[in-house]
Amino acid sequence: MHIQDCTENTCVDQIQKIFHTAEVEIQRKKRVKVKLRLDLVPLFLSYARDYLNFKHLAHISCVDWIEENEFELIFMLWSYEASLMIMVKTRVNREKPEFITLSHLWPQAETYEREIHEMYGINFKGNERLGEFILEDWEGVPPMRRDFDTIKYSKENFYQRPGREDAQDVRETISKHSGEEVPDFAKEFSIRRIEE
Amino acid sequence: MAFDIKGVLAPFSALKQGTKPPHTVRYPKEKKETAARYRGLHFNDLEECIGCGTCATICQNAAIDMIHVDGFETNSGDSGLRPRVDNGRCCWCALCVDVCPTGSLNLTKDYVYVSEDPDSFLWMPGVDNPEGKENLSFQSAEGKPLLEYERIPMHELEGTERVKSFAEVLLGYNEEEARKEAARCVGCSICTDICPVHMHIPEYINAIANGDDEAAVKIIYDNNPLGETCGKVCTRRCETVCAIGHRGEPIAIRWLKGYATSTVNNADLIEKIVNPEILPPNGHSVGIIGAGPSGLTAAYYLSLRGFNVTIYESKSHAGGMIMYGIPKYRLPLDSIDKQVEYMEKMGVKIKYNTKVGKDITLEEMKQHHEAILIGIGFEVPYELGLVGENEEGSIQAVNFLRNINSDRHVEIGDKVVVIGGGNVAIDAARVSRRLGADVTILYRRRVEDMPADWEEIEGAEDEGVHIHPQAIPLEIILDENKKVKALKYANAEMIPDPEGGRPRPKIIEGDEHIIEVTSVIGAIGQSADYNFIPEDIKNQIEIKRGRIIVNEDQQTNVPWLFASGDIANRRADAISAIADGYRAVKGIEKFILKSENK
Amino acid sequence: MREKETTIYLGPQHPGITGNMMVKLKVAGDTIVKAETHVGYLHRAFEKLMEQRTWTQSFPIVCRICVPEPDPNEENLARAIEEIEGREVPERAKYIRVMVLELARLATYGLWMGGQSGSMGLYTMPQWTIGDRDYILDLFEELTGGRVYHMYIWAGGVRRDLPEGFTDRVLKTLDYLENRLPDYDNLLFNNALFQKRAQGVGIIPKDKAIEWGVVGPPLRGSGIKHDVRIDEPYEVYDKLNFIVPTSDGCDVWSRALVRRQEYEQSISIIRQVIEKMPKGDYYNKIPNPLTWQVPPGEAYVKTESARGEFGYYVVSDGSIKPRRVHVRGPAYVHGVSLLEKILVGANIADVSFIMNSLGTCPPEIER
Repeated sequence: MHIQDCTENTCVDQIQKIFHTAEVEIQRKKRVKVKLRLDLVPLFLSYARDYLNFKHLAHISCVDWIEENEFELIFMLWSYEASLMIMVKTRVNREKPEFITLSHLWPQAETYEREIHEMYGINFKGNERLGEFILEDWEGVPPMRRDFDTIKYSKENFYQRPGREDAQDVRETISKHSGEEVPDFAKEFSIRRIEE
Repeated sequence: MAFDIKGVLAPFSALKQGTKPPHTVRYPKEKKETAARYRGLHFNDLEECIGCGTCATICQNAAIDMIHVDGFETNSGDSGLRPRVDNGRCCWCALCVDVCPTGSLNLTKDYVYVSEDPDSFLWMPGVDNPEGKENLSFQSAEGKPLLEYERIPMHELEGTERVKSFAEVLLGYNEEEARKEAARCVGCSICTDICPVHMHIPEYINAIANGDDEAAVKIIYDNNPLGETCGKVCTRRCETVCAIGHRGEPIAIRWLKGYATSTVNNADLIEKIVNPEILPPNGHSVGIIGAGPSGLTAAYYLSLRGFNVTIYESKSHAGGMIMYGIPKYRLPLDSIDKQVEYMEKMGVKIKYNTKVGKDITLEEMKQHHEAILIGIGFEVPYELGLVGENEEGSIQAVNFLRNINSDRHVEIGDKVVVIGGGNVAIDAARVSRRLGADVTILYRRRVEDMPADWEEIEGAEDEGVHIHPQAIPLEIILDENKKVKALKYANAEMIPDPEGGRPRPKIIEGDEHIIEVTSVIGAIGQSADYNFIPEDIKNQIEIKRGRIIVNEDQQTNVPWLFASGDIANRRADAISAIADGYRAVKGIEKFILKSENK
Repeated sequence: MREKETTIYLGPQHPGITGNMMVKLKVAGDTIVKAETHVGYLHRAFEKLMEQRTWTQSFPIVCRICVPEPDPNEENLARAIEEIEGREVPERAKYIRVMVLELARLATYGLWMGGQSGSMGLYTMPQWTIGDRDYILDLFEELTGGRVYHMYIWAGGVRRDLPEGFTDRVLKTLDYLENRLPDYDNLLFNNALFQKRAQGVGIIPKDKAIEWGVVGPPLRGSGIKHDVRIDEPYEVYDKLNFIVPTSDGCDVWSRALVRRQEYEQSISIIRQVIEKMPKGDYYNKIPNPLTWQVPPGEAYVKTESARGEFGYYVVSDGSIKPRRVHVRGPAYVHGVSLLEKILVGANIADVSFIMNSLGTCPPEIER
């Protein structure tokens, strides 16, 4: 395939021809979304880089889908020739999250992997610089995981300056005044508890 | 590379700047005026603020606390709290300004705040900087509001279409509209204070916004078993204090309640969703007179608390005024039947066609029950006091409405005059329209003085009801068969009340008119019939202006006798009756359990 | 004879650039043998915070990711949400956004010129450029109410319309800035010392630049003509005429030349924006910010910031809060893997000089 001809449609066709199990869709103009099995991802990425000319690794991201017990890894590749982005998405089991490093393909992948390792606890085999990156002396749940409780953490580790204890809850003040008893099953539906 | 003589000399051109005026601040220092929308320290107009706390909710730095300020008390429409900003946390993003429903909170041009005391960075906008009012800069009024100020319109039948049948006028929100309307709410709960029942309004509204209608129904039934009725006909004082209503249209609280409850279309389903906790029977028995809103409410919650409850109802259906007084186009009857059926499933026993005083005496009741609640309502209409009032063609609105709702035929002819200005008068007029008559309402005072809901008045006008204000009926003229033929009335002028009350109508001498009518419908008010109460008890309880005086537990001077609904409160609406019933539950429980402990 | 290696810690307090980070240098004499970037001094967990705030509440957070140039953050987040939601943005708002972005670019280049020359000891330049930048901040103050953090662009458009007569004052400031360019040229760009210091230093080889993930002026300074505004035009950039300057020296000098030309391009872009800006609405109102649910979906959007491709990956699960907001700042690559590579072989004195030429900005590495 000539690189210049690579449009959203030809790109999808080309990928489907080679990766039969990949779920490919055009998300919008200039965005092709590829969902792939984890073990095929390294192969696909080097294929996209070397054959489809998606040379620019723009981003590697991670999303915690704790409800499904999975992490999602997202790789954004950009082709300057075709002005097209491939978004490669794959799922990693949350119990023992592991993947291999891509730093042999792109040196900057190392940095992304260091961060994802630190923030989500995904082990990128072959990356020698995993370890302390942004955080310092961190112990416990990797903080970007959804089950990390930030409020609890900040209550345990930070000191709240005194002087604000007299703050009142509007809902409680009013129900106390009127004598309304708000049952617990109703309280769940208050929109006044954004941070909890 | 050759020696770059130009590149060596060029930088020296900077020296010529020495002859130019400097850009820096000069001394004596001139104060630079900040931009017109500079985001400086807060100012809060304390009088305008209602303490809804939306600013504290939107603040992503958790920099705003709501605290008590001297001079502001919690009341209907005001939480009595005011925001205090922690200037150590604030980032002056001004989301609090753009979200403020009343527009009381704005930013000022002041930005210098220096103090040696680290605890002085908590301060009250408006209290600590009263001069800020003159110094406003970034204001919510300048931009588009962040909140939704426009109500999702309610579909209703056209006026010309409505008069053809008794079909419900309001078509109700569909799911999408309800979610959108509910999502306008800021959840402040100001509305709950003024609601006689103190329903959990922000919670059920947000449940609807979240797509959880069942949770909304469960929350509604927590303290109002007639939520569906209220969703259609409540006088909704909640909406008059809604925070959004200060600069926009209040949340359609009543219609949202109506939407949520209408998603449940049979008693079994209500039982499944509400699934209330029912305490085991405690062996105590309560009798209730009248299955109106207050009686039903009391009966339902007493049953849930393990009491053995019997309602004595003189008519063949439960519901009282909401059954027999509210026309079907506002409240379909099957809706009430469904709600009553659910209550009966929950253990409420209703003895229909049993009139206390006739079929059973109060004394006999007392032998079966430890406490008795009277909720008989106002059913006896006031007489117009006109000549010819008791002849054929002259009817009372409450009787008229009751007959229509009982599917009885009432002959009113084609030209009807309704006398009165309350909701009953409007109901009678609109029902008459549906029976095909031309209808005129005569009312003593001005339209704005009419006690009826403005929506009802507008609805009547849409349907072609002619409202004639400042008209005082003088005489009903009969034909030779002693049948109503015409009505004589006089126009009135409003004269100010020297004592400062509302203006009074005064007949304009000589400005008398006669209109031909086929029927005159009186709707100037009702009272209660207390004849079933034995004299000795009647002497003990206090009755003032037709109403029984009760304490905050709905208890009369006779400890075992409680009263609720229209006979015990002056609001005379369903929601106040329900509130009475709910209070009576607590009062009766307290009374019975206290005497048990003795 | 091999010189003895020692370790130097440069930073973490403003190592010649804006922001706090540290470069651990292993040096042999004056030559760097190995460089290691250490970050974590500015980690404020913005991405985690946003997962616990509503969509609207996230806007005052994202601008803090970059002090010199907060606007691409706001614009990216807004555009990502708009893409997920399918929300239309009024045409006028798009023009206003471009104006804000380009003004921010001018302000950033002002800071960069100061930083670049300050890091080689030319201290007159920062006095000038940072002083001149304040005239742009005056405009921001008038438009948005804030000088540094604007909190102005948000989902659906912009927060307030232009004040009366604002565009006239923008044009006046642009004229002033343009008239200052000859002074800048004489002092910095035509300065033989600067050329001597900058040429041949901090080489990013042309054939490696894309593979290494280089973006923005450093990429164009290596002779590769790519710019997000052209490759994937956002807002109204496809309706504006401008050129993408390149220079193929691959060194600090080339990158400086690219920025110098882009400075003029930005002035021209803003003038076009003011000329073409339509009247009309500036904000397609979002629903109640406390209950606003963005439908499930994801979007990767990017802008060309003054330092290169600024990307936002935003995921919504349909709730009132973002599921994930992941920020890709250009310095994420420039300040770590790229910097570690090109510092090897450089002199100690060139470290902050090179860092400035890459536009290293620590807060966007760690957010």
